[in-house]
Amino acid sequence: MRLRPRHLRTRLTLWYVAVLASLLVLAWGGTCALLFWQLRSQLDHFAIQEIETVEGLFYFTPDGALHMREDYHNHPESKDLIERYLEVLTTDGAVLLRNERLASRTLGGAILPGEGIGGYSERTARLSDGTPVRVVSRVHVLDGHRILIRLAHSEEPLLLRMKDLLLASVLVLPVVLAAAGFAGYSLARRALSPIEQMARRAQEITPERLDARLANDYSDDELRQLAGVFNDTLARLEKAFEQLRRFTADASHELRTPLAMIRSVGEVGLQKDGTRAEYRDIVGSMLEEVNRLTSLLDNLLTISRADSGHIQLHRAPVPVLALVRDAAAIFEILIEEKALRLSVEGEESAQVEGDPVFLRQAFVNVIHNAVKYSPVGGTIGVLVRTGEAGSVVVEIADHGPGIPLEDQAKVFDRFYRVDKARWRESGGAGLGLSIVKWAVEAHGGAVALASRPSDGCTFRINLPAARAVELSKAPCNTALS
Amino acid sequence: MQVSAREPYKESVYILVVEDEQKMAQALREGLEADDYSVRVAHTGEEGFYLVQAQPFDLVILDVMLPGHDGFEILATLRKRGIKTPVLLLTSRDAVEDRVRGLDTGADDYLVKPFAFPELLARTRALLRRGNSDANPRFKLADLEVDVAQRAAFRGGQSLELTAREFDLLSYLFENRGRVVSREMLARDIWRETSRQTPIDNVIDAQIVRLRRKVDGQFASKLLHTVRGVGFVLREEGQA
Repeated sequence: MRLRPRHLRTRLTLWYVAVLASLLVLAWGGTCALLFWQLRSQLDHFAIQEIETVEGLFYFTPDGALHMREDYHNHPESKDLIERYLEVLTTDGAVLLRNERLASRTLGGAILPGEGIGGYSERTARLSDGTPVRVVSRVHVLDGHRILIRLAHSEEPLLLRMKDLLLASVLVLPVVLAAAGFAGYSLARRALSPIEQMARRAQEITPERLDARLANDYSDDELRQLAGVFNDTLARLEKAFEQLRRFTADASHELRTPLAMIRSVGEVGLQKDGTRAEYRDIVGSMLEEVNRLTSLLDNLLTISRADSGHIQLHRAPVPVLALVRDAAAIFEILIEEKALRLSVEGEESAQVEGDPVFLRQAFVNVIHNAVKYSPVGGTIGVLVRTGEAGSVVVEIADHGPGIPLEDQAKVFDRFYRVDKARWRESGGAGLGLSIVKWAVEAHGGAVALASRPSDGCTFRINLPAARAVELSKAPCNTALS
Repeated sequence: MQVSAREPYKESVYILVVEDEQKMAQALREGLEADDYSVRVAHTGEEGFYLVQAQPFDLVILDVMLPGHDGFEILATLRKRGIKTPVLLLTSRDAVEDRVRGLDTGADDYLVKPFAFPELLARTRALLRRGNSDANPRFKLADLEVDVAQRAAFRGGQSLELTAREFDLLSYLFENRGRVVSREMLARDIWRETSRQTPIDNVIDAQIVRLRRKVDGQFASKLLHTVRGVGFVLREEGQA
């Protein structure tokens, strides 16, 4: 099982304390080691000085025994020598002298290879009773005899001091860490409390209360940024919800209108006995509304699939001029009937990478719009040209009544109609241009309207060049607005 | 009902309709029977499955949305058992996946609800014909004659000046003479318009008006009729 504290502040504190503890242990340990090393080298230094002193005090008696001068008490520093362990050996390892302090104990045992030759050898050893000592050795020539002098200090006081030091740290460290942990915890809690506030606030935000926002009065840059990002997201969500709400309301209104007509026509038809022809007419009238409903539903289905990103573009190189001609050809007869003059001109080579079905749909809808609103005998001009960076621009200009300035931003909205009263005659539920917008934007392009009242509309569709489209080949979930 | 356009073998054609909604099933039965097919209705997939095994049908019209085993399952099981009866699937879903799935499962055709009834009749005829195309390239109705091979049309012996599209429209109406042709059928078969969103109804209406002017304009007896709310039909007056 893995232990993982639930709260971020606890986790932060634990990390903090752990890091602090390891740093303290490292620093403390380093200090102790340095101290120990310094004290010991001081000990060695004393020992060397003492060996130099003691060298001059040795003499051989005629029987070959080694002695130390008895008058060393006269030297103030010699007095200390009693406190030392002292052993003198022949180079063969025979003991020549051991001082009283050492008594019968050996100091370092057999001679090590190279011990005390050409200088002083320091090492740590134990006496036979286990006392830890620091031994310094030196080979000295006395009266033509090579003798090995070993002088040692007990390390016991040194070790005792180190032990005290460690004990103190073991007692102090937990206290320090506890204090640091407590401070860290309250610091973390204070730093994180705005996040908790935000979370509480965010929890209260529901689809019905999307206008709520997080308070954004934090001094901390990161928190302000977080709240800002969150609020931006909320704003976008609110907008999307508002659009959806309006769309649902509009759609149900649009659906209700034909339904109401079907109902009224049917009910009125049944009120009185009619002839066969009259009944046929009534049923026919009802079926007309049904057809309207059906095409409305088809459009709504397209829109909802576009909204949910379920429409996949099947891209291929599309010769734009040919596609526009093809789209315009559908309306040939309407154009003739209204005595319109339609010209489709431009660069034959203009080409984009796109889905011909949806691009054609877009052109068809815009041209249909132009045909619908052109007065009898009017002209419609369609121009295909290459724009900046190899993009393709299609301009569809009519000379109809135009669109009032205040409505120009709304023409691409769903269910928008310039003339709300007359739409049933010209057909369509005001979805055509919103589908155009979606189709063009799904291809990474843009559509814009330039209109002067009384001088018609010019729709400008800008489609990015084939290469640019290739780069933005993301799944098309451009929302219809 | 009109007599002129009826195929001689039709009364012995058996169609099974598998549709759980009573109203829809009733409408399908009456509509198909009015076109002189013999119709059997099953209200559940299981019943339909049982009937297909018990008795040979010439065509199964199968609703996808059925309670219990849905249309896809029934169809898959039928095909697994080696029953090759043509199947026309009906569904209210327009998703491409559904269409692909339907055809993959072994459906012969696919129709999205709500559909125009003339469309259903046309698909039914197409499935029953199964490649036996009309070998007669010359049609005659009252004093209107169409020669498909020559792409020429005559009314009362006089040649009619028709554009290519008008001729296609007329010969299509001729092929379906006596039967109502919906705007959807015209959009798909004459204008080759696959998208249901294309605002083409006005175009069709205008084209029909023109054709009528040429075909019926100066003649007392009218042949090209509009059936309000449904579509157009080419027939002699008084046959409706």
